[in-house]
Amino acid sequence: MWEHRCKVAVSGVGFSRVTRSAEIPLAAHALEAVKGAVEDSGLAMSDIDGLATYPELPATGHAVVDGVTIVSVNCMMAMLKLPNLSWHVQVETVNIGGAVQQAVNALLAGVCRYAVVWRAMHNPRGTYQNLPGTYAQGAAQFTAPYGFGGPGQGMAVAYTRWLERHHQSREKMATLAVTQRRHSHMNPHAYFYKVPLTREDYLNSRMVAYPFCLYDCDIPVQGAVAIVLTTADRARDLRPRPAYIAGYGQRLAFEVAGRIGSLSSYMEGGRSSSRLTWERSGFSPRDVDVAQIYDGFSASVIYGLESYGFCKEGEALDFIQDGRMELDGELPLNTFGGSLGTGRIHGLWHIIEGALQASGRAGERQVKDVNVSFAGASAPIVQGTTFIFVKEPY
Amino acid sequence: MTMSDWSRVTRPIPVPNEWTKPFWEAASRGVLALQRCQGCGHFQHPPYATCVNCMAIDLAFEPVSGQGAIYAYTIMYHAGDRRFAAAIPYASIIVELDDAPGALLAGNLLEAPYTEAQVGRRVEVVFEPLNDDITLPQFRLAHDAK
Repeated sequence: MWEHRCKVAVSGVGFSRVTRSAEIPLAAHALEAVKGAVEDSGLAMSDIDGLATYPELPATGHAVVDGVTIVSVNCMMAMLKLPNLSWHVQVETVNIGGAVQQAVNALLAGVCRYAVVWRAMHNPRGTYQNLPGTYAQGAAQFTAPYGFGGPGQGMAVAYTRWLERHHQSREKMATLAVTQRRHSHMNPHAYFYKVPLTREDYLNSRMVAYPFCLYDCDIPVQGAVAIVLTTADRARDLRPRPAYIAGYGQRLAFEVAGRIGSLSSYMEGGRSSSRLTWERSGFSPRDVDVAQIYDGFSASVIYGLESYGFCKEGEALDFIQDGRMELDGELPLNTFGGSLGTGRIHGLWHIIEGALQASGRAGERQVKDVNVSFAGASAPIVQGTTFIFVKEPY
Repeated sequence: MTMSDWSRVTRPIPVPNEWTKPFWEAASRGVLALQRCQGCGHFQHPPYATCVNCMAIDLAFEPVSGQGAIYAYTIMYHAGDRRFAAAIPYASIIVELDDAPGALLAGNLLEAPYTEAQVGRRVEVVFEPLNDDITLPQFRLAHDAK
């Protein structure tokens, strides 16, 4: 087990308004979320001395404008003018979960005391993915000429392989979409708060990239979420009950850039990240009381459930049936609605919900008797990270 | 009815670089050639600076048969890339070649209804010239699969 387990905790969390497209600059969303998280902790902004984010704009072919289409650490520094700032970082090889892990490391190293991590996501007007022009350079030279565009198709090809190798049917995914939408009705910050979705809606919806229909894809939105992390002893003196970080991991495999469709590399990404998390925390999948698993595209949940060890390969779509992923089920799953319910804010919201469930602060959607809360942020293959939060340090 | 209409599609044109040039030169001659490690014999695609199996840097392009199976596929219904709108719905496939296990090539399923795309289906390479310099390797159902 990890000697540093439960020495750092998530304290406050914050949310901005989530809109379909930009009505105010993205920096204003990020500021709203960061202020919310600091206030939730009961801290003053001047207490914050660490900053971390993953600022990437996933929409391709759009200008990167700090404060408008991304919110970098520099942008946040300029807005907050923190008098006691002592540490900051932006990560690259893993998504926002990597920024959270770096903040944990900085707190353990004693180079900051109260760190804020935010994820701000922009939805450009017009086409989300502006694909290569007349020419296809780099890795795209082997994919774009065949009409392979955004990440959805890359995920879709692995999904057909999974479905046909395991003799499964995509109709079973309706359970995930409908259950998560119902969960989002208990999350007032979610884009689809109180917007109903039925099984029939899912089954009759238009196809985007088979096997993905519209409701297999998270909707691009403009919004931001944020958390405050601090050491366990400091967290206990703050207003919210702490969610202790018992272990974490990151994906350790990378395939050559431009290689797409490989189902085995999704599985290896998830296995490597979760193995670290189980070993460090001392828990196993059967100890988990509630799980958040990244669902930017619905099939990521399949790869997550299987590669993290919650069920066997080929069984994930059966595993989520029969009420198993409901709030009172065997493994309550994506209890905040997931990205399919909140809109595309990447994995920090999964981490936030993992922490809220561990600290008993999830309100109407709180799962009963949670001690061990799991979060898988980002698709396992691409930039996956995994976390265990616990209510009781051990 | 279910045949994709490729006649009005303008495909992005690949730009060869120092790693990929031999692939495109072979394709323009109607030969499918993949990067192979001269040390351990491992085939890889897309081309890379080193052998991802054994770290050797002695790599060369060698012809392969062009026979293989559909590893995975998607049927595209969304016109995110307007240049492909006329072909919708169309099958974008990933092929694993018999001669190069683990090397995955993208392509379209040509000369067949897109509904014929299935994991494991046997396919063979065909060549689609884009201009005087660039010819795309593509795939159709193998004769023994029909």
